[in-house]
Amino acid sequence: MFRKILRILDTGAHKLRSLIFVHFLCGVLQGIAFAVLVPLLRSILGGNLQNAWRWMLTELAILVVYSALSYWAKLAGLRISTDLCSLLWRRLGDHISILPLGWFSGGQVGQVAKLTSDGVLNVMGVSTNLLKPLMDAFVTPSVVVITIALFDWKLALAVAATVPFITAAYFIAERITHRFDDQWYAASVNMSGRIVEFAQAQPVLRAFNRTDNSVQLLDSALLQSRNATKKSLSMGSLGQILFLIVIQAAFTIVLFVGTYRALGSSIDAPELIALLILVTRFAQPLTDAGGLGVAARVARNLLGRMEKLMATPGLPETTSPGKVLNASIEFKNVSFGYDAGRTVLQDVSFKVQPNTVTALVGASGSGKTTITRLIGRFWDVNAGTVSVGGCDVRELSGRDLMAQVSFVFQDVYLFTGTIEENIRMAKPNATKEEFEYAIRAARVDEIIERLPEGLATQVGEGGGSLSGGERQRVSIARAILKDAPVILLDEATAALDAENEALVQEALSALSANRTLVIVAHRLQTIMAADQILVLGNGKILENGRHQDLLAKGGRYADFWREKERAKGWRVKANNIG
Amino acid sequence: MDASVSVEEKPKLLSLRDLLSLIKPVRGSMIIACVLQAISAIASIVPFIAVADLAKVLLEEQAPVNADAAWRACWIAFFALIVRMAATYTAFFISHNADNDFQLYIRRRLAKHLVKVPLGWFTGRSAGDVKKAMADDVMNMHNLIAHAALELLTAIIVPVVTVVYLFSISWIMALAALIPVVIGVYMYTRQLKKGLELMDTYTESMGKINGAAIEFVQGISVVKTFGQTGRAYSRFFEAGENFLSVMWNMMKGALRVSSIAELFLTPITALVSISAATIFAVQMGWVSSFVIIPFTLLGLGITAPLLAMIFGGRSLQEAAVAAAKVKALLATPVLEEAAAAKEVNNFELELQHVSFSYDNKTKVLDDINIVLKPGTTTALVGRSGSGKSTIAKLIPRFWDVSEGKILIGGVDIKDLPSTVLYQYVSFVFQEVQILRASVRENIALARPDAGQDEIIKAAKAAKIHDRIMELPRGYDSIVSEDALFSGGEAQRLSIARALLADTPILVMDEATAFADPESEALIQDALSNLATGRTLLVIAHRLSTIQYADNIIVLDKGRIAEQGTHRQLLDDNGKYSRLWERHERSTEWFPETRVAGKHKSNSSFSNQSV
Repeated sequence: MFRKILRILDTGAHKLRSLIFVHFLCGVLQGIAFAVLVPLLRSILGGNLQNAWRWMLTELAILVVYSALSYWAKLAGLRISTDLCSLLWRRLGDHISILPLGWFSGGQVGQVAKLTSDGVLNVMGVSTNLLKPLMDAFVTPSVVVITIALFDWKLALAVAATVPFITAAYFIAERITHRFDDQWYAASVNMSGRIVEFAQAQPVLRAFNRTDNSVQLLDSALLQSRNATKKSLSMGSLGQILFLIVIQAAFTIVLFVGTYRALGSSIDAPELIALLILVTRFAQPLTDAGGLGVAARVARNLLGRMEKLMATPGLPETTSPGKVLNASIEFKNVSFGYDAGRTVLQDVSFKVQPNTVTALVGASGSGKTTITRLIGRFWDVNAGTVSVGGCDVRELSGRDLMAQVSFVFQDVYLFTGTIEENIRMAKPNATKEEFEYAIRAARVDEIIERLPEGLATQVGEGGGSLSGGERQRVSIARAILKDAPVILLDEATAALDAENEALVQEALSALSANRTLVIVAHRLQTIMAADQILVLGNGKILENGRHQDLLAKGGRYADFWREKERAKGWRVKANNIG
Repeated sequence: MDASVSVEEKPKLLSLRDLLSLIKPVRGSMIIACVLQAISAIASIVPFIAVADLAKVLLEEQAPVNADAAWRACWIAFFALIVRMAATYTAFFISHNADNDFQLYIRRRLAKHLVKVPLGWFTGRSAGDVKKAMADDVMNMHNLIAHAALELLTAIIVPVVTVVYLFSISWIMALAALIPVVIGVYMYTRQLKKGLELMDTYTESMGKINGAAIEFVQGISVVKTFGQTGRAYSRFFEAGENFLSVMWNMMKGALRVSSIAELFLTPITALVSISAATIFAVQMGWVSSFVIIPFTLLGLGITAPLLAMIFGGRSLQEAAVAAAKVKALLATPVLEEAAAAKEVNNFELELQHVSFSYDNKTKVLDDINIVLKPGTTTALVGRSGSGKSTIAKLIPRFWDVSEGKILIGGVDIKDLPSTVLYQYVSFVFQEVQILRASVRENIALARPDAGQDEIIKAAKAAKIHDRIMELPRGYDSIVSEDALFSGGEAQRLSIARALLADTPILVMDEATAFADPESEALIQDALSNLATGRTLLVIAHRLSTIQYADNIIVLDKGRIAEQGTHRQLLDDNGKYSRLWERHERSTEWFPETRVAGKHKSNSSFSNQSV
């Protein structure tokens, strides 16, 4: 586990190494202090008080050094673990920043956020807290064995003989616990899922499940979790008890063999007693070590996930970036799939002229959104090229490419902060005029007039305190201020009321002016007005042209259009099918 | 030190009595576990005493050594070890099983309770919060149930028995051995108390990093497109640094004291103080040199259980907080249930002087009066926040009205048991709720006894049958395992469910229809089939869809501003006609790129490109 941490820490590893070393020294000193007990007892019991004082002072000296080191280790441990936290944050943060944008659209966002926040704290906390008990359990006993050998190698051998058994038992116990923990974990994940479902689907469960057993699905998951825990407890504690038995057996053997030899006068009584004291003293930290496994396992799992994250390749940045010539876009024989074996786009080619509107239409999963994402280089294509302004997006620096395109998508993400901060981030050095123009053009003025705190209104976490339409307008203002020549737009303005929809449209009009537009289009008017319509199906462009031409062709587009027309004419009327 | 004391100290935590009543079902096993633990604690000291006795026998000056006595001591130690092991293991097993059973018991109790709280309670918080309480908080109580009592017992019994035994040997020596322990424990507990007071600051800044990390990862696509990666990153970083400095300040002082306290409690200190005291006492002729043996054997073992207790303090604190949360959740007020159903004569739905407020301060609805005649369609119109969704949710009792009444066929819905109410009212809202169960079970939720033909009929009317037949196992496919539905398909599945439930009154959100632009027409067909022949209340977003409704109600700030048919309202030339104008305009809108001159001609690409 520590090896993994050191690997992840990279340049900061030496700090942790020095901490480990000091803890190791403490463990060694503690071992020596115990070993010195043998001559100390011998002198006291033998009545040689002069010598006894000398050994006592040795103990005292050891105590002083040990105290100084362990005090330092405690304070430095905290300092180092905070340093390491911050280092780990930086390393993870740096890596997350270079990951392809597309990587973040998966469901892993929450997990990664958790991993980078408490995951890091947990790993550093556990690893620094684990050092002392680990040394107490393993280094101290080894040192005692070695030091005793200096006084009496036979005794040392007797103690050392028990070590392999104890180690073996420890690992067997670990193995058993580990196996059943996995089952336990699976059951508890399942239970969590059912609880979430239980809470989310509560209205439906109550309204439709009239038989009063609405908790049935949840209940079986609860029961399953209980049973898995029970199994893991019984088997896991079997492992623990095996460990305990071995430790106690080791003690018992030393006790009986030692007594037998003492009675036969082949061993000194004081020596045997010192030995017994030492053996009983070892049993405790070793027993405790059995419980350290759990904490260590948690940290190890977290570390594993961090390593996986760090191993996710980032987007390669070009060393000699090209230049953008105009606001055109071109796909040349582009093929792409999110994972190997499943292609989302296959041999797609099209051109978008500057200052035109291109509408992408097709069923869900046909690759519309993927096309907009590839323009922004959320991912790299598997084959072919995507060019913006006549230059392959892979030949552009990330900064230049991002300066070319603005995204106006359905899920608008705003940062905790004020409305003004959220808009200004698009161009921190914007002039007053530019800023005010963006606000007016995106109809954010209508929002801030209604709010008592105006521009200084906090948008809440993720923008939660604004309505959907308001969030969209803020994000459009942001895009207007950014003033990129290419706009990628997802038109699904679902569930906006009539007033908001009209305002969002005003904002979009301002944004579109004199720019190149690629729209995932849903509205009839938008599609009809487009300069170019790309009809997508199964990852290919089925048809490409203007509305009238495509309609006249009577192909896929014509079918699509008829369905759309039908949907538009829908009316709600009881007893009268719309 | 005492578990119950720290539980009682903070007012928001549970009193010991509340705690005992919460864990009632496992109290029996916990008592047995405690008795076993006490036996184990005493048995753990016996081998040390036996070894001390053995030492005494072996060190007897006069020969021959009493071999019988020596072996007796060995066997006593051996049996004590076995007893201890057996007792520890059984106590552990019993207490952990009790905890496990308790978790099941309390989760079931929570589930039973939560199905009775108002539905609106669930919309007020995320499912994650419920999961946190039911899964995590209950699990966090683990320390309280499985460990606290047992650790406490060990921490009391072992030192007390040891100290009594040591005093019986030599009181001077016992005092010498105790001095560092007393100093250490005193320093430690004082420090611990201070540390606990700082816990809130700690938790708070910990929460801030979590927030910043989520923002950093979630918002990264946005910041990247604006070329602001560095800024968002530094925000996350600042939160982290801030947390660390809070922690550093909080721990730094405490750590000095606790490190020194720990040094007083380390075995080496005990070793030094005991050996120094022994040598001195022997020189003074107060004791025989032999006392060194029981004291080194037992004196070093006083502190370990105490330390374990102290280290366990923090998780115990967490466990106590979790217990308080669980208890609070169990105390959430439940919706009052009518015992017996009153007869409903017809399915006319009426809202009489209905007012509603979520927080008892601002009224979301104010004196609403609506009558829905059986078989008619009523549409609710208004901007977001006007109260239309609230009205829709009051009818299936997500919340209860603050004032006024909602009547079905003249009977107050509060006088109908929920099982009866939901035989009359069903709803199709935007947020789809399908369960991780078979497609069949999902459709037949309302009527598990429904036949295959009925289920297929509903699925066909909901335009989802064909999609289901494409699945590998058809109606037996499990949702989110081998049945993966798009948003629109999930909508249609939930419409099939409502069709099979076949209630006379239906509340529906029209936004459902265009939640998925791809299959809009199919969802609309399904909704049309569902609406047929029922009393319908529609929350409208697109005015064109509801222009033929029997009654259109225009809401504004929680009040009814206008009502009537589409024609009447247009003729009145009021709010509705203005909304209609906007709506007309928005359906005609399309994006244009070549409009130079109309807007400020913001240099399109010239400034970035070259």
